[in-house]
Amino acid sequence: MKNFLPFARVSMLATAGLGLFGSCTKLDDQSYNQIVTSQFTPGAADVPAIVGSAYVNWRPLYLEFQGVYRINETTTDETVTPGRPNGWVDDGSYRRLHQHTWTALDPTPNFAWEQAYGGITKCNQVLFQIQSNSLVIAAADKDQTIAELRVLRASYYYILCDLFGNVPIVDRFDVPAGFLPQQSTRAQVYDFIVKEIRESLPQLSTTVSTATYGRFNNRWAAQALLAKMYQNAQVYKGQADWANCISACDAIINSNNYTLEPTQASVFATQNQGSKEIVFAIPFDEVYATGFRIHMQTLQPQNQLTYNSQGTMWGGGICAIPQFINSYNPSDNRLKTNWIQGQQLTAAGVPLNGSFGSNAGKPLVFTNTLPSVVLGSENDGFRVGKFEIKQGVLVDLSNDFPLFRYADVLMMKAEALLRTGQGAQAATLVTQVRQRNFLANPALATVTAADLAQGSSYPYGPANNNVVSPVQGGADIQYGRFLDELGWEFAAEGHRRQDMIRFGVYTTKSWLSHTPNGAYRTLMPIPQNVLNTNSNLKQNPGY
Amino acid sequence: MKLPLPHPNHVLLAAALGGLTLAAPTPSQASVRAAKSLQQAADPIKGRVVDEKGAPLPGVNVIVKGSNNGSQTDAEGRYTIQAPADATLVFSFVGSTPQEVAIGGRTTIDVALKPDTKELADVVVVGYGTQRKADLTSAVVGVKEESFVKGATRDAGQLLQGKVAGVTIVSPSGDPTANTQILLRGSTTLNSSTQPLILIDGIPGTLNTVPPEDIESIDVLKDGSAAAIYGTRGTNGVILITTRRPQGNITPTIEYSGYVSTQRIARSPQMLTADEYRQKLAEGVAFTDQGSSTDWVKAISQSPLIHVHNLSLRGGNGKTNYLVNGNYRYFEGIFQKSNNRTFTGRADVNHSMFEGRIKLNAGILSSDNKYDATVDGGLYGNGGFNGYTYRQAILRNPTAPIDSANGRYAQQFTLFNYENPLSRIYESAGENSSQNTRLNGSLVWEPIDNLQFKGLVSNTRYDQTRGYSENKEHPSTLRDLLNGYASRGTTHVDERLVELTASYNRTIGEHRFSALAGYSYQQNTSEYYYLSNYDFPTDLFTYNNIAIGNALRAGRATMASDKSSFNLVGFFGRLTYSYKEKYLLLASVRREASSRFLGAEQPWGTFPAVSAGWRINKENFLQNASFIDDLKLRVGYGVTGTAPSQSFLGVARLGFGGNFLSNGRWTPTLGPSSNPNPFLRWEEKHEANVGLDYSFLKGRISGTVDYYVRRTNGLLYDYQVPSPPNLFTSTTANVGSLENKGLEVQLNLVPVQTKDFVWNSTFNFSTNQNRLLSLSNELYQLTNEFFNAGYTGEPIQTYTHRVQVGQPLGNFYGFKVVDVTNDGQWIYENRNGEQVAYNQFGHDDGDKQVLGNGLPKYYAGWNNNFRYKRLDLGVTMRGAFGFQILNFQRMYYENTGVTQYNRLRSAYEPVFGKAVLNTAMPLEYNSYYVENGAYWKVDNITLGYNFQSNLVKYIKNIRVYAATLNTFTITGYKGLDPEVNRIGLDPGIDNRDKFPTVRTYTLGLNLTF
Repeated sequence: MKNFLPFARVSMLATAGLGLFGSCTKLDDQSYNQIVTSQFTPGAADVPAIVGSAYVNWRPLYLEFQGVYRINETTTDETVTPGRPNGWVDDGSYRRLHQHTWTALDPTPNFAWEQAYGGITKCNQVLFQIQSNSLVIAAADKDQTIAELRVLRASYYYILCDLFGNVPIVDRFDVPAGFLPQQSTRAQVYDFIVKEIRESLPQLSTTVSTATYGRFNNRWAAQALLAKMYQNAQVYKGQADWANCISACDAIINSNNYTLEPTQASVFATQNQGSKEIVFAIPFDEVYATGFRIHMQTLQPQNQLTYNSQGTMWGGGICAIPQFINSYNPSDNRLKTNWIQGQQLTAAGVPLNGSFGSNAGKPLVFTNTLPSVVLGSENDGFRVGKFEIKQGVLVDLSNDFPLFRYADVLMMKAEALLRTGQGAQAATLVTQVRQRNFLANPALATVTAADLAQGSSYPYGPANNNVVSPVQGGADIQYGRFLDELGWEFAAEGHRRQDMIRFGVYTTKSWLSHTPNGAYRTLMPIPQNVLNTNSNLKQNPGY
Repeated sequence: MKLPLPHPNHVLLAAALGGLTLAAPTPSQASVRAAKSLQQAADPIKGRVVDEKGAPLPGVNVIVKGSNNGSQTDAEGRYTIQAPADATLVFSFVGSTPQEVAIGGRTTIDVALKPDTKELADVVVVGYGTQRKADLTSAVVGVKEESFVKGATRDAGQLLQGKVAGVTIVSPSGDPTANTQILLRGSTTLNSSTQPLILIDGIPGTLNTVPPEDIESIDVLKDGSAAAIYGTRGTNGVILITTRRPQGNITPTIEYSGYVSTQRIARSPQMLTADEYRQKLAEGVAFTDQGSSTDWVKAISQSPLIHVHNLSLRGGNGKTNYLVNGNYRYFEGIFQKSNNRTFTGRADVNHSMFEGRIKLNAGILSSDNKYDATVDGGLYGNGGFNGYTYRQAILRNPTAPIDSANGRYAQQFTLFNYENPLSRIYESAGENSSQNTRLNGSLVWEPIDNLQFKGLVSNTRYDQTRGYSENKEHPSTLRDLLNGYASRGTTHVDERLVELTASYNRTIGEHRFSALAGYSYQQNTSEYYYLSNYDFPTDLFTYNNIAIGNALRAGRATMASDKSSFNLVGFFGRLTYSYKEKYLLLASVRREASSRFLGAEQPWGTFPAVSAGWRINKENFLQNASFIDDLKLRVGYGVTGTAPSQSFLGVARLGFGGNFLSNGRWTPTLGPSSNPNPFLRWEEKHEANVGLDYSFLKGRISGTVDYYVRRTNGLLYDYQVPSPPNLFTSTTANVGSLENKGLEVQLNLVPVQTKDFVWNSTFNFSTNQNRLLSLSNELYQLTNEFFNAGYTGEPIQTYTHRVQVGQPLGNFYGFKVVDVTNDGQWIYENRNGEQVAYNQFGHDDGDKQVLGNGLPKYYAGWNNNFRYKRLDLGVTMRGAFGFQILNFQRMYYENTGVTQYNRLRSAYEPVFGKAVLNTAMPLEYNSYYVENGAYWKVDNITLGYNFQSNLVKYIKNIRVYAATLNTFTITGYKGLDPEVNRIGLDPGIDNRDKFPTVRTYTLGLNLTF
């Protein structure tokens, strides 16, 4: 029996131990910095935060380093990202954009796809939350919020339709597990976007206020998006729709909510929110919503002293293509205000000097030159100056980025009129937009229907070491003068690619180091990453 | 004439006489003297030494106990020695048990030595206990203190460098705050840590939880069948660190060890000197002469002082014993303001009561660490010396002056990313200080013989406080107009562990059993705070009065905090069985759950292991093979797991993100954080191991051979998924599988063994072959079966590696240059194998190809220890072969078109022996910068001398030594050091900002009181 006692004690301990084990198998379930969705019931106060989450993607989609802005600008005859003494070769990706030799593996299309669909899936999720009443919205606001989200979703699809064309349409969140979306044609995507906007219009607000600024609950912002679709209907659907383009523009014009600013510069000022010309802007802020860094990409490090900036500019990536600058009328005020040029100065007015190679110690002067896409000096090329860079700027600009503005509405209508044989009325609108830019010489502002019927004055042709040879010119471009007008008014705003495609120039003309590389380049390739994960998708033709 | 043999009585008589003649000596002193006085007169003692089978043993040491008087046996095993008749002879021989024989008046003493089974009786620390080395059935390697790397070792990892086959340890950085990197049997994961589980006396910690001088032994559980008892933490192997412990009955002993060291840069980057720079300027390079001559790397360097002191006190008796250890480490690095200072105190008390039925242990460990920081740590950061400062020293114009005319540091801010490195060092102030405190205790209850219950608890708390500031002379104000900048940050980690085990051993006849069952609970909580501010009215307070900066009021200061916690619950059991010590079997299982999987369908995982051993030499057919001491075949299989490093990946979560302008107000938005994956589970590594342990010729030749195959299934990674419909384009999931296999050979030799001279030599060799088997499963389908990894940094901005199915990890992937034109323009090989000139080459991703691999295929180590009388010499060498390195310094600083920065002298070596690179070639990542990385490194050379014991009163032992670390490297690699980072998916990158490796010179002293 002597040995029994310890065993009894052991078994008692073991029993106690087992009880202890039961309470010690609990897994630590505290989340300190994120909300576990299933444990969270959103209230009315959370509605702006949840709806707003679907908007956030617009900022990177357009202006992040590899954003849509880069595609829409630097693949065109307007701007380029040349190699610079301090880099900007980056595996040849910028050069491929200029020369239209990009591939499905390039970062830019992939980034656009991710951000656009990121916005779309968030719209779908929030719509699902509202429609399934897991996000409860006051009845009075519910229809408008749903309509707003549908237009917002359509706005992301607009980017996809414009860049990739044949993309899958997913308009719901509650898809079955393993669901792989089917590809739609560009025409189907067009129809979907138009339908979504049109169905939503009646529920949207007609009042322009801070409550509708930078949002698609603003009916006029939705109309502007709709007008953009109609403007490009021939490209997107293969069938023009100028009448609807005019009526969408007229709806905005006749609402009398918008006017042209007295100067173009005020549309792009640091404090441009609430500008009467802005129909829809992507709001940015140097503290609250960063990411507007075009000035960092276009200027030289020395320009830090020009603006007393907290960030050193990255050394002059994006600059104007000299041929484009040469197309301007020298009296056009936009040539001066949209492009930073000439001797660079400190904020106090002291001339800045160059730093690189033989340029070191010599004046830093931005000249309208650029030998090729391969390598530019720190002086080569005018820089993007359309967006005000305030003194004492931090790293990011606070300027809101105008995606649709009243001048654009007028010009869309003008193009529709021009293309439907109403050249005189079109010329009136174009003149209206030009006037503020020729205040010193008002006669130059006026254009006629005959002017607009002319070709382009852009000196097309491959250029090497600042010599265009052979000169192709743009005289053969139908309504080329109108394309020029679009170029001068909307320079550096990310319009150029779309406009060049619509005027048939994007894949047919040569400029700087670019020569035509196939008509299929009007569409970007579906990113390889995307094809890898969805076997239903087929690559766009030509790639 | 023959003198009568000294009889004990004579000795006593002599002692008495001595006592009369000498002033009151103690009897024992007297007896020694008396013995000595008789020694000369005694006859020599002769004899023969044989082994257990009667064969003569040559080279056996014969020593008179307590003296320096010794002899050795000849080829016939015969010896002759002069010794007092009452003395004791000690016979010792490698591989045999030393034997003491009292002379007892004899003149002929023959001895048969028994084979030493001590080596086999040695215990090795294994999971939750110890095992006799003889009983091991899996790949476990123990390294004892005497075999450690000596000198200014940075952490426990460095002690093992080059010592264990299959365990590669590199010190890729010379920063005194950096740690060594351990990679055990290759890279077995895509995304998870490759750091082995490090247990310090059974409690999880890091390589620097305890100072190297406080470590007694380190055991490494290499294969899965050994590590599986640790389940989810054992995938990368387990390193068991045993600190110095009080054991048994010890008279109070004080041991001191200390050393002073200094360091030199192992190899300096060969940038153009001012003279060479001017010469190039004269030759037409668009450089700018600024009139001075500055060696910038030298300008930021210093001759560092390192001193380390370790003092330990041990004492006690069989019932209660204790250890107190104090360690101070003062390290300076080769760059100014790079340093690291740590004081660690540790106390350990054992008490045994109720006739040993209850054993208590309590320990406390506390370390204080402090170092200068020249980098802003951010929310989670550490950071000692700022690598960017080193970059600035390398690329700065060698003709630029250090100071400008007004006595400030000369600057030239109009050049992009260009700052005077000294201004970065001296116009900033920063300090990171931390405290790590561990309390632990255990209770062992043995209610009956062979049955033990053990409870172990520990609590480790780590607290770090960081401060960093830049004054108004720093580039952040002079250029970026911050007007003074400061930040503060803290890290707090609390780790708790409870482990309850029950074990039972039983021997029935020839059968020996043991059983173990246990429960383990581990909880970890981490908290972080960080804030920064700028625009200060004064520099006076550095980071200590952070609220006075105006950026806070302008809404531009930053503030951040974070907290997370997770726990791990495990149950485990193990059975071992051996029959006649011939057939050995081990089986274990662990069932474990992690809160990382909360919300996923299956947080529990099961991790079994089984291994068996066969002591072939115990079989009858080898009974006569007397040259074999041990021959054991081992086979094992084990499963271990890995959890993701983030919690809540299994469920949908919402997080606050970017702001939204809502009615004129910026509102943080609330959106989804990631794609939830309810099927998330453990990444599992299945490992099979076959091994052979051998020992021949009384241990003169011994070692192990192991072959392993490790297959990791359900690799955790952020896999690409279609978006739409997914919210994000990647989901953390278990998809791919990866295989590692390799051979490890360890050979220990004793080539020379004489009384005065002993040479021990150990050689190890290992191979590792790694292959990604799959990146798809039924849920995750990739059509191209690869993804890219690594990044060159700006301004090149591209990936460096490709991870591809069917290929090993670590493949460099980029453009291949095969030639240059006569004017130095690249000529590439395109996807069709055609040669294309630079201007015709599209630089299309499709033209990229595999350029090499950053993971060595072969590793070798050769360590030698020589002892001649009291002098000893140790040399450790190691090498790695069959791999490539991407040399970032050459890639960035050999470009001839970049004129605003300095460049390497090698920029003027003709590319492919043909032409200097054309200035029109932009910075680019291509095969020209991928180099063969093979090397052989003579690492540690230690020369030591042990003084005669009791040379100085009260001091029992004195040892002095001189050592070098990273002594020299034989390699064709052109960079600073071919031993670069091997962790992660982009191994083999020699980063340009890396703190250069150093060569260390040490003088050390060990004292025992």
